[in-house]
Amino acid sequence: MKFRVERDVLADAVAWTARTLPVRPSVPVLAGMLLDAGEDDGRQRLRLSSFDYEVSAQVSVDIDVDEPGRTLVSGRLLAEIVRNLPPQAVEISTDGAKVVVSCGSAKFTLLTLPVEDYPTLPAMPELTGSVLSDAFAAAVSQVAVAAGRDDTLPMLTGVRVEIEGETVTLASTDRYRLAVRELTWTPQDPGVSAVALVPAKTLADTAKSLTSGAQVSIALSTAGSGEGMIGFEGGGRRTTTRLLDGDFPKYRALLPDSFNSVAEVQKSEFVEAVKRVSLVAERNTPLRLAFSDGRLVLEAGAGDEAQAVEVLDASLEGDDIQIAFNSTFLVDGLNAIESDIARLQFTTSTKPAIITGKPVDDGASDYRYLIMPVRLSS
Amino acid sequence: MLVVMSVFDDLVGQDTVIEQLRSAARAADGLLAGSGGAGMTHAWLFTGPPGSGRSEAARAFAAALQCPDGGCGHCSSCHQVFSGTHPDLLYVRPSGLSFGVDKTRDLVLRSASRPTGGRFRVVLFEDADRATEAASNALLKAVEEPSPRTIWLLCTPTAEDLLVTIRSRCRLVTLRTPTTRAVVDALVGRDGVAPDLAAEAARASAGHFERARALAGDPAARRRREEVLAIPARLDGLGACVTAAARLYELAEAEAKETTGALDEQEKADMRAAFGEGSTGKGVAKAVRGAAGALKDLDDQQKRRATRIKRDTYDLALMDLVAFYRDVLAIQLGARVELPTADRDADLRGVARSSTPEATLRRIDAIMECRRRIGANVHPQIAMEAMTAALYTG
Repeated sequence: MKFRVERDVLADAVAWTARTLPVRPSVPVLAGMLLDAGEDDGRQRLRLSSFDYEVSAQVSVDIDVDEPGRTLVSGRLLAEIVRNLPPQAVEISTDGAKVVVSCGSAKFTLLTLPVEDYPTLPAMPELTGSVLSDAFAAAVSQVAVAAGRDDTLPMLTGVRVEIEGETVTLASTDRYRLAVRELTWTPQDPGVSAVALVPAKTLADTAKSLTSGAQVSIALSTAGSGEGMIGFEGGGRRTTTRLLDGDFPKYRALLPDSFNSVAEVQKSEFVEAVKRVSLVAERNTPLRLAFSDGRLVLEAGAGDEAQAVEVLDASLEGDDIQIAFNSTFLVDGLNAIESDIARLQFTTSTKPAIITGKPVDDGASDYRYLIMPVRLSS
Repeated sequence: MLVVMSVFDDLVGQDTVIEQLRSAARAADGLLAGSGGAGMTHAWLFTGPPGSGRSEAARAFAAALQCPDGGCGHCSSCHQVFSGTHPDLLYVRPSGLSFGVDKTRDLVLRSASRPTGGRFRVVLFEDADRATEAASNALLKAVEEPSPRTIWLLCTPTAEDLLVTIRSRCRLVTLRTPTTRAVVDALVGRDGVAPDLAAEAARASAGHFERARALAGDPAARRRREEVLAIPARLDGLGACVTAAARLYELAEAEAKETTGALDEQEKADMRAAFGEGSTGKGVAKAVRGAAGALKDLDDQQKRRATRIKRDTYDLALMDLVAFYRDVLAIQLGARVELPTADRDADLRGVARSSTPEATLRRIDAIMECRRRIGANVHPQIAMEAMTAALYTG
């Protein structure tokens, strides 16, 4: 194998691929990065791949190939080396069991790993459609915040992706809150219908890392074909992720549709106030909110402990309400909405509340964050 | 070196089992193609005496399930199964003495994901008898109702080593002890061992193929076995008993250390190489430091395995002794059977003459009791002293 490539192109590609390298590989070859130089669709391309059995990453860049070939080298080492190369053309070639990287006056030799032991990368499922990369990354981060981190309930560590025609619905919950986001996309088949449960952390990382291209293609094997993979592709980068199995809660029934009170509060002031007041709240003690005409009183702490009170302006339609929340969950929800004004909808102090942004034209909000109140004794 | 034509070629003397597995792999192919898949099932239990190749058989079956050609033995899928890197094969080798419930839960979770290669998610659980009771219970649900494409391959010495609830959900694959003839053929044909040596090693190992291979390939292993077998004839007083026990312990320790040392070093070197050791240029040192976490994990695993290898080595030495007394018994009763320890003919006849079959049986019991005590964490040397004393008194 022998090829030349621009330093910056290589550095970007290697750094991106290296993100998926396992920190503690279960078998040594997984610490390797696969380099495959050759023709791809009539162009001379280098494909870099990494795989940890759950997530695979592959990026393809333009190169000048002298001699096609495949080799496996230590991924972290390659990333470290490439990051420090001077800004000149890089030549990479194999020499027996070694790979030589030269760039200007710098020269490195890397030992190769057994390429025949390297697991076969999963094939990309069939293309299902595409979405704007920035919008997708934003939507995923809004939802992923509510995903569970408890491995004993694996289905709650995922984001449920529901595709129905031109609408994609993302949802996740950890049983204390639930985030739902709808967005439109461009499916290949307008009648498409599919669901998948994608590990939340992987999905968030992936969505964020694919914003270099304008569009992200999403490839999902249709229900029943048993592939168990979802693939994302954008800007020459593609990743696949193993899907989670298990039944996601039927969350739509949980979202209330009628409310007794609706409050609106300036978001940034609200977040600041919550953070300040909750300083005195011990772990797991709630933050109490009292909405009445024109104002919101935030309180935390009780009895002999330190106490804090803060008053904010707030508009309220409907009944006065007193309700208590876990302050971290409340801040997560407020930070996730896109509008400057947070709208909170309540039924009673023991029923879940919904946080949304104030819609621009009084339509329905495409993001809803459901939060369970903490029951107050007396 | 012979060209491997099928993944099943490496199984020694297991023709019936191979036929069963081949037809199951064909049925599995049918299952993928959409037919009923009769003859295939989601849980298999591989049983057979030590050395019969339980895990080898399970691994060959796993390869056959993953290979589009039913286990050709030379495609990249087969190669990855055998090198333990196949993406859809979960290879569980309990490194310690037992396999706990936490690890089992993690395993159950991972087994539930669907295959990435479009075929099967195979879980190969070697030594499933090492799963604790809580772990077995955690396993039950997954073995009972696995995800549609998940297949469990469990290995235990006998079917009774598993919870009856798990056992009843598995199809049984019973491997038999390979004949001495089959072992000799495999040693000569595959490993290129000289026929005389192969015959000697095959007889001495009584059908334990890996043991035969070790005896044929390693003069030190043969010497250690000789020394163990020389013990019975030397037990002429309590002093000799204590000396013999000490020597027995020392031999086993040395063997365990040798086995562990070689394995450990190779694994560590592979891991360091995967993080870039041996390369040159700026940045190598930093990248190699990244291996610290992985090496720490590996180290813990190796420590647990070392304990287990020690136990296995004591067991090997004790089973050599059992083989000796079994042969003594055969001579005493005039049975015409192959004698694995025939190379100690004079000793065998001497012990046979000077004792009764009842005493020989008591001696075998004493050795078994010693194994049990070591399993219950008695210091091995002390357990062995008690045993040699019992062998002396008869």
